[in-house]
Amino acid sequence: MSDASQALREPWPDLRLQRQGVGLGMWIFLASEILFFGALFCSYAVYRSFNDEAFRVAGEHTGIVYGSINTVLLLTSSLTMTVALRAATLEMRKPTLIFLALTAALGLAFLACKGLEYREDLKQHLFPGPDFPLSPAATQLFWGFYWIMTGIHAVHLSAGIAVVGGVFVLFKRRIVPVQGSTMEGAAIYWHFVDAVWLVLFPLLYLVGRS
Amino acid sequence: MNGRDQSRRSWWLWQAPALVWVVLLILFGASLGSAYLPLGVGNLALNLLIAAIMIVVLVTFLMDLKEAAALLHVVAGAGLLWLLLMFALTFSDYLSRYY
Repeated sequence: MSDASQALREPWPDLRLQRQGVGLGMWIFLASEILFFGALFCSYAVYRSFNDEAFRVAGEHTGIVYGSINTVLLLTSSLTMTVALRAATLEMRKPTLIFLALTAALGLAFLACKGLEYREDLKQHLFPGPDFPLSPAATQLFWGFYWIMTGIHAVHLSAGIAVVGGVFVLFKRRIVPVQGSTMEGAAIYWHFVDAVWLVLFPLLYLVGRS
Repeated sequence: MNGRDQSRRSWWLWQAPALVWVVLLILFGASLGSAYLPLGVGNLALNLLIAAIMIVVLVTFLMDLKEAAALLHVVAGAGLLWLLLMFALTFSDYLSRYY
């Protein structure tokens, strides 16, 4: 059986439609994810509208350097993921594997950077609780959002890295041909995780800088 | 494959995504730099506006929603619509309260 015929699954008449089907399924999932993160953004907006000054004071203490490095890492990973997807569409197996590996590596670099940032935050006791160093008390609200939002984002990114790693193994062992629809879903999910970070960055890292 | 096909192929494969990546980095730099300007509430507005532009660029050109079927636009739009409804209903409550 050729790679092309192996890639095409029932009930699709061609690969283009099959990819669209996977894309549609992933976008329906992402619509629910938009609401999941949206609830957090909405809560943040409500609390910030009532505690603007406290959020400014608290926001000054986030690690802007770590946040900026991580933004560049994620934007670059979106580039490598796009190239991997397009290489897969063109049936270029080797570039697909290389750019998939690069994408996963950039994701891991993001998590490593996040880990260093968390360590710095904990050293400064920037975790809501009895030893919290900032005042007024509402600064703890900001840091509560910081830990929840960045933590949930990191969980999503970890899932993305696991999926990319899984897809890499499937392609590498030729269990699944690269030009199928497997890449489509992984790529859309990866870009979504990047897009969520693009909202988190100004909300958590650019507050109170002026 | 002739030279023109080869050139179109490499543009689609990596040159166009690389150009989008450069645009995203410039927007990121603008967002970061503007955060240090004393604009008051304008800082948040500008940062969120730039973030929105970055997401539109990412979704349109890297997630290829520009070339996707109309049904995908509807689904993506539905997620955004429900998000806007959530914000509108929540803030119509909080902003109309008297304390």
